[in-house]
Amino acid sequence: MSIRICIPLDSAAVALGADDVAAALAREAAKRKVAVSIVRTGSHGMHWLEPLIEVGGVGFGPVTAADVPSLFDAAFKNHPLNIGRIADHPFMKAQTRLTFARCGNVDPTSFHEYQAAGGLNGIGAAIMVGPAQTRDTVLTSGLRGRGGAGFPTGIKWKTVAEAKGDTKYIVCNADEGDSGTYADRMLLEGDPFVLIEGMIIAGLAVGAAKGYVYIRSEYPDAIRTFSKAVAVAESSGLLGAAAGFEIDVRAGAGAYVCGEETSMLESLEGKRGQVRAKPPLPAHKGLFGRPTVINNLVSLATVPAILADGAEAYAALGMGRSRGTMPIQLAGNVKQGGLFETAFGLTLGEIVDEIGGGTASGRPVRAVQVGGPLGAYFPRSLFDTAFDYEAFAALDGLVGHGGVVVFDDTVDMARQARFALEFCALESCGKCTPCRIGSIRGAETMDKIIRGERVAANLALITDLCQTLKFGSLCALGGLTPYPVMSALKYFPEDFDRPRLVAAAD
Amino acid sequence: MSGQTPRLVMMANQIAQFFVPQRRGDPVAEIADHLEKFWDPRMKADIVAHLRAGGAGLDPVVREAVGRLKEAQRVATA
Amino acid sequence: MSLVPEIDYGTPVSRAEETVSLTIDGHVVAVPAGTSIMRAAVEAGIQVPKLCATDSVEAFGSCRLCLVEIAGRAGTPASCTTPVAAGMVVSTQTERLKQVRRGVMELYISDHPLDCLTCAANGDCELQDMAGAVGLREVRYGYDGESHTRQAKDESNPYFTFDPSKCIVCSRCVRACEEVQGTFALTIEGRGFDSKVSPGAAADNFLSSECVSCGACVQACPTATLSEKSVIDIGLPEHSVVTTCAYCGVGCSFKAEMRGEELVRMVPYKDGKANRGHSCVKGRFAWGYANHRERILKPMMRESIDQPWREVSWDEAIGRVASEFKRLQEKHGRLAIGGITSSRCTNEETYLVQKLVRGGFGNNNVDTCARVCHSPTGFGLRTAFGTSAGTQDFDSVEQSDVILVIGANPTDAHPVFASRMKKRLRQGARLIVIDPRRIDLVRMPHVEADYHLPLRPGTNAAILNALAHVIVTEGLVDEAFVRSFCDRDAFEYWAAFVAEERNSPEAVGLMAGVSPEAIRGAARLYAAGPNSAIYYGLGVTEHSQGTTAVMAIANLAMVTGNLGRLGVGVNPLRGQNNVQGSCDMGSFPHELSGYRHISDDATRAMFEEMWGRPLDAEPGLRIPNMFDAAIEGSFKGLYVQGEDILQSDPNTTHVAAALKAMECVVVQDLFLNETANYAHVFLPGSTFLEKDGTFTNAERRINRVRRVMTPKNGMADWEITLAISKAMGFEMPYAHPSEIMDEIARLTPSFAGVSYALLDEVGSVQWPCNEKAPLGTPIMHIGGFARGKGNFMITEYVPTDEKVGPRFPLLLTTGRILSQYNVGAQTRRTENGAWHAEDVLEIHPHDAEQRGVRDGDWVRLDSRAGATTLRAKITDRVAPGVVYTTFHHPDTQANVVTTDFSDWATNCPEYKVTAVQVAPSNGPSEWQREYTEQARHSRRIAVAAAE
Repeated sequence: MSIRICIPLDSAAVALGADDVAAALAREAAKRKVAVSIVRTGSHGMHWLEPLIEVGGVGFGPVTAADVPSLFDAAFKNHPLNIGRIADHPFMKAQTRLTFARCGNVDPTSFHEYQAAGGLNGIGAAIMVGPAQTRDTVLTSGLRGRGGAGFPTGIKWKTVAEAKGDTKYIVCNADEGDSGTYADRMLLEGDPFVLIEGMIIAGLAVGAAKGYVYIRSEYPDAIRTFSKAVAVAESSGLLGAAAGFEIDVRAGAGAYVCGEETSMLESLEGKRGQVRAKPPLPAHKGLFGRPTVINNLVSLATVPAILADGAEAYAALGMGRSRGTMPIQLAGNVKQGGLFETAFGLTLGEIVDEIGGGTASGRPVRAVQVGGPLGAYFPRSLFDTAFDYEAFAALDGLVGHGGVVVFDDTVDMARQARFALEFCALESCGKCTPCRIGSIRGAETMDKIIRGERVAANLALITDLCQTLKFGSLCALGGLTPYPVMSALKYFPEDFDRPRLVAAAD
Repeated sequence: MSGQTPRLVMMANQIAQFFVPQRRGDPVAEIADHLEKFWDPRMKADIVAHLRAGGAGLDPVVREAVGRLKEAQRVATA
Repeated sequence: MSLVPEIDYGTPVSRAEETVSLTIDGHVVAVPAGTSIMRAAVEAGIQVPKLCATDSVEAFGSCRLCLVEIAGRAGTPASCTTPVAAGMVVSTQTERLKQVRRGVMELYISDHPLDCLTCAANGDCELQDMAGAVGLREVRYGYDGESHTRQAKDESNPYFTFDPSKCIVCSRCVRACEEVQGTFALTIEGRGFDSKVSPGAAADNFLSSECVSCGACVQACPTATLSEKSVIDIGLPEHSVVTTCAYCGVGCSFKAEMRGEELVRMVPYKDGKANRGHSCVKGRFAWGYANHRERILKPMMRESIDQPWREVSWDEAIGRVASEFKRLQEKHGRLAIGGITSSRCTNEETYLVQKLVRGGFGNNNVDTCARVCHSPTGFGLRTAFGTSAGTQDFDSVEQSDVILVIGANPTDAHPVFASRMKKRLRQGARLIVIDPRRIDLVRMPHVEADYHLPLRPGTNAAILNALAHVIVTEGLVDEAFVRSFCDRDAFEYWAAFVAEERNSPEAVGLMAGVSPEAIRGAARLYAAGPNSAIYYGLGVTEHSQGTTAVMAIANLAMVTGNLGRLGVGVNPLRGQNNVQGSCDMGSFPHELSGYRHISDDATRAMFEEMWGRPLDAEPGLRIPNMFDAAIEGSFKGLYVQGEDILQSDPNTTHVAAALKAMECVVVQDLFLNETANYAHVFLPGSTFLEKDGTFTNAERRINRVRRVMTPKNGMADWEITLAISKAMGFEMPYAHPSEIMDEIARLTPSFAGVSYALLDEVGSVQWPCNEKAPLGTPIMHIGGFARGKGNFMITEYVPTDEKVGPRFPLLLTTGRILSQYNVGAQTRRTENGAWHAEDVLEIHPHDAEQRGVRDGDWVRLDSRAGATTLRAKITDRVAPGVVYTTFHHPDTQANVVTTDFSDWATNCPEYKVTAVQVAPSNGPSEWQREYTEQARHSRRIAVAAAE
C-alpha cells in the first residue's frame, strides 16, 4: 500500500518551493523504494506554512527539499515540521469553510474527487427546485457581490431573468487585481469545479446557455488549471452544447480597470478595456448588448453551497445585512498570512492581531488597508470595527474583495496616499476626466506636499480633488481613490506635514 | 440612306428584342409607338426612307412597325 | 444677418412613443421615454454644462460636467447617460455639483494651452464656454506638471488640422467617425493620462490613415483640436445661410458660413432631411473651385475653334449666340439647333433652358445628362409603377431588414447616404451586393455582405431574372400584395417567363460567373425581408439592357411586396445633384415637366397658353442622336449649359467629330471645360453659391439653394438663359427664380403645391406635392401604384453585342471614386487631388501577370473605339477578366475607349461594358497626344488690345 502525499500546486506554494519538494519526495521515495502517490492539491491557505504537505490528514510545513529525507526517516510522523492534523489547526478550526470547503483537500481536476467531496449537490438542488426557486434561494441567502460592491446577487439574477432577450450570458469576474487578494486564484487552482457548478446554476436560474470566465493574465497557472477542469467537465457531460451550458475561458488584457464590470465586457468583446457609462445596466444590456449576469468568482463559487445546504443555513451566518461567510485574505506585514473564510462580524482587531498574529516584523501595527489598493487605511483606534459592508462604508471604507494588508510603524502614510493616486493614474482607462487627469495631478500635488511646498494650500487642493474624484468619476477606480488618500490624511495627518527635509549638501 | 442609318437599324432591332418576348399586346404596335414617341422626325424619316429602299438589316417585325409610322403613311400618300 | 442657430440637445432623439413626465429645476417636462435627462433639460430650456456629449452621437459619459442630482437617488449621475423616468425630480445646479464641475474644469485647463486669444476657435470653443459656465477662476495645480500642450500638429489633411495639444480626449471625433461616418479611422491610443486620439496605426497621419475626410470629426470637435484650415486662415464666420450641396444626388443641406462675401466654411445642417447633419469630403470641403484661378469670369467668343478666345461684353456674346442660332435655323431649318440642360444647375435654370428650346427655338431638341445615366430609371419605373422616380426617402433605410445593393457603390458615389446605410447594417440589417467589383460595402469595419454576387459586367438582367426565378419557383411570392396591387395577367405571364429553366440560377450562374447557391441564397434572403429595399445606380442603367434591368428590379420589389411602406422600395441613387430635377423639369426631348409626353395635345396646349408660343408635337433629338445628326449635317448649333459632354459622353472621338461639325457651339460653364475646346461662344457660369433656386435629390426632395455671394461672373445662370431668350425674341418675365418655380407649380401637377414660401417654412418637400399631399410624399405608392396596377414586364435578357474576343479579351467597367466628382471639373480644382490625383486602371493580379504589368506601370487601354494610357493598379477587387477605371481626369479620358452601344429604350450609353485589351505602355496614346495639343491650342485667350 502506497502513501498518499498531498502537496499544493497553488501558485503561492509553488513560489515557496512546492514543486521542488514534490520532486524531492518522488526522488527520495524511489531511492528508498517506498510506494508513494503524490497528489497535487489546492492550498489550505496557511501561507506562512507553505509548502505545506499533508499525509493522512497530518500537515508538515513549511517543507523544503532538504527536509524530505528526514520526513521519510520519521515515516511522516514525529517531525519538527509536524503541525498536527490540519483540520485541527487553530487557523483552520476557527474558520467556517463553505466556499473553500474542498480547497486543499482534493485534486482540483479530478471530477471524481469533486463529486466524492459533495460536489454537484448544488446543481442537483437547483434542477429540483427550478429557476425561480433557485433565484429565490440565492436572494434569501443574503449573498452579496464578493467583488466589492456588495450588490445582492439574487436581485441581479432576477433582473437578468426578467430582461427580454433570447440570448443571455453569465460572466465570471476573475480579474482579481486588488493588492493582497488571492481568493479567486486559490479557487481556480484548488477547486475549479465549484465555479463551473456555480455558473451552471446561474445559467439555469436566468436562462443563459453561455458563460465567460475572465481571468487576469497574471494567473497563468490558474488559467491552465481552470481550462483543464472545463475540458474535464465537458468530457464528463457536465458542460458543453449538449449539456445546455458552455464556458469560455478568456485571459485578461493586463489592466486593473478590466476588473470593473463594464470594462470587462468591452474587453471580452475584443475592444479596448474602457468603462461604459451605466445605465444601461449590464443586466439589461451587457455582453454584446445582451442581458448579462456579471458576478465575482467567489459569489458564483458560493452558490453551490447555498443551494446544497439551503438559504437559511447560509443566512444564519454573519451580521446585519452582511450574511454568510467571507474569505478574508491576510497579507502585507503580517505574521500569519493566508486565507481565512469566516462569517461576517469579526472585528478588525481580531482579524489582524489574533488571526494574523500581528506583524511579521514584530513591530507594532500602525495601519491596515482593507479592500485592496482603493480601500481605506484604518488606524489601531478603529480596530473595533466589525467586518461588515455597512460598518466599513460608514467609515468611508470598504470590505471589497476581502483583502487585508497590514503595515507596521515604519510606514509613511503620505507616500501611501501618493501611491493610491499613482495607482489610479497607472490603471486609469482614460475615459473620464477626473480619473484621467485628476490622478496625475493628485500625485504631483502629493509630491509637492511631501516636498513641503505650500502644504496647507496643497492639502486643501487634494481634499477638493478627492471630492471631484469621488463624485465625478465614471467608475469605482476614480471614485474610490479618495478612500485611501483621505483616510491616510484623516488618521495620520502628522505624516503630511513633516518639516521639509534638509538637503544633504546643507 | 444616311450615315446614321446603320445605327438606326441597330436601335430599331434592339427595341424589337424587348417587345417581341412580351406575351401580350401587339409587338408591332408597341415598336411603332416607341419609335413615334422617342424618335426625332429626321430619324423617323431616315428609317422610313431606308425601309422604302429595301430595309436591309431590319427585323421583320421592325419592318412592319416602321411601315406603320405616321411618316411612312405620309410618304406613301404623298 | 447672423449665424443660423442650431441647438445641441446633447444626445440623440428618442423615437419612443411613450411620453414620460419629470421635473427639472422646478420645470415640468414631458419627453419620449428613453430621452436622456440632458436632452429633456435642453427641451425645457435648461443648459446642463457638457463637453463629451453632442446629439450626433450616443451618450458617452466621460467629461463628467453634466452631472445632476436626482431626488431619492444617491450620487451624482451624468445627465447624458441617465434616461428620464416618470416623476423624477432633477436638480442641475447644487453646491456639490458646482464644486465637482469646477474641479473637473480645473483639471481640463491644467492640461490645456492658455492661448485663447490667438486660438482659431476663440469664440467658438465649448471648452472656453464651459470654463465660463462653471465659474472657473484659477488653476491651482499650476502648469508645470505633465501635459500634452507641446505636441506637434498634424497638418497632413489638406482641409483641416489636428492639434493634439488642444485635445480634451472627449472622444467625440472617434465616436463620430464610428457612429456617424462608419469608417472607424480614429481611435484612442494609450491609457489614462496617455490617452490620445490617433488616426489608425501609430505611423499614420490623417492623410495616410483610413480617414475619408468626411468632416464628421471636425464637426464634432468641441475645441480647436480639429479645425478647418479655412477658419485658421480667415477667422470665424459672422453669418450663415442654409443651402444645398451641388455635388451628388444625396442633396445634403449645408450652412454656408460667411464672413462678408467670403465663404469661410461649409457646415452640414442638422435639420437637413437628406443628410441629417452629415457630410462628405466633397460637400464639406471641396468648394475651393469657386475661387479657382482658372474660373472664367468674362464672356468670350471666336469665329472658329482654331482661333484663340477673345473676351467680349455680355451684350456682344449674347447677341452673337442669338444671331448665330437664328442664322442656322434660317439656313438649315427649325430643327438644326438644340440645347442641353445641366443636371448641376437648379430646377429653375433647367426649366428655363428647355423652355428656351421648346418656346424660343421652336423644337424639342433638348436633353440632359440623365440621358447618359438614369434615363432607363425614368423609363423603367414609369412603365412598372407609373412614376419616374425612386419610391422612398433616405430615412426609410433605417427600417430596412435586408438591403440589396446592385450596380451602385454608395461609399464612393453617395457617401453620406452610405453612412446612413452602414449605420443600419451595423444595427443588424442584412446585405446583398451584386457588383462585378468587391466594392467597399462587401466588407468593411462592422459591415459584411451576406452575399456578394460578382457577376460578369453586362449580366444584371439575367441575374435579376434568376433571383425572380427562385422567388416564383420556391413559393416566396407575396400573393396578397400581387393580388391587391398588381396587374394579374401581367404577373401570370411574367411568372411563367421567369420560371423557365433558362432563367434558373443554375443556367444563369454559369453564364454570369456567379454560384447558383449564392443566387438562391440571396433571393431567399431578399424575399424573407420582412422589409427589403433595393438600392441601385449606374451599374444597372448604363447597359444595353439598362431599362430591362430597372424593370426587373421593379418586378422583384412587386413580387415580394416590398413597396408602399417604410424600409422597402426601389431606390435609384442619382449621380448628379439635380439629375432628378432636370428630368422632372422636362429636360427630355419627348416630355414636358412632370413627365408628360410632348405629343399630348392637352398638356401642350396648357404650356402654349402660358408661354404664348406654339409647341412642336414631335419629340426632339436625344444627345447621342444630336451627335449623329451633327455628323450627318442636319444639326448645327448647340447651347450646352453646365455639362462637359466631350469628357462625360462615350466614344470621345465620335463626340469630338460631332462638335467639330457644328457651326455654333455655346458652352456655359465655370471653366474652359473639354467641350469648350470645340465651342465658339463661352458664357461664364455661376456657382451654386451665387444664385437662388432649388435642387431635387434622389429621394425627390426639393431643397433650396440660396445665394450667399454676388455672382463673380456678373450673372446667375438663369439670368444668362433669360438674356439669350430675350435676344432670340422670346422674352421671359422673371425677376427672381421663385417666380420660375411658381410657373412650374402652375404647369406641373406633381409640383402644384411647391413654392419658395413653403420651402422656407418647412425646409424641403418631396414631390408629389399638391393638394393631396400638401407637405410632399416621402413614400410613394402607399396603398396602390401611381399608374393603377403594378405592371410586370417580361425582362428577357438580351446580351450586348459588345463581346470579348481575341483582340479585346477583357471587359472594362467604369465608375467613380469618393474624392472626385463626375468629370472632375470642380473637384480637380480643389485639394481633393491629395486622394486621387489621376485615374488608374484596376486589374486582377492574374491578368496583370499575363501581360507583364506591374503595379504602378503605365498601360495602354485599347478598345475598338479608341485608346488611352494610364497607370495600372493591381488588385483582386476586380475579378479576372475585368478591369475598372474612373473617368474623372481629362488627361486619361476613359471615354475614348467606351463605345456607342446603348440602352434599347433610352440610348443611355453602355459605359459599363467595353471589350478592351491592356498592354504595357511607355507613352500617351495617339488620341491623348493629339487631344493635348488641340486643347492647349484651343484654350488660348488673346490678350486684350491696349485701349
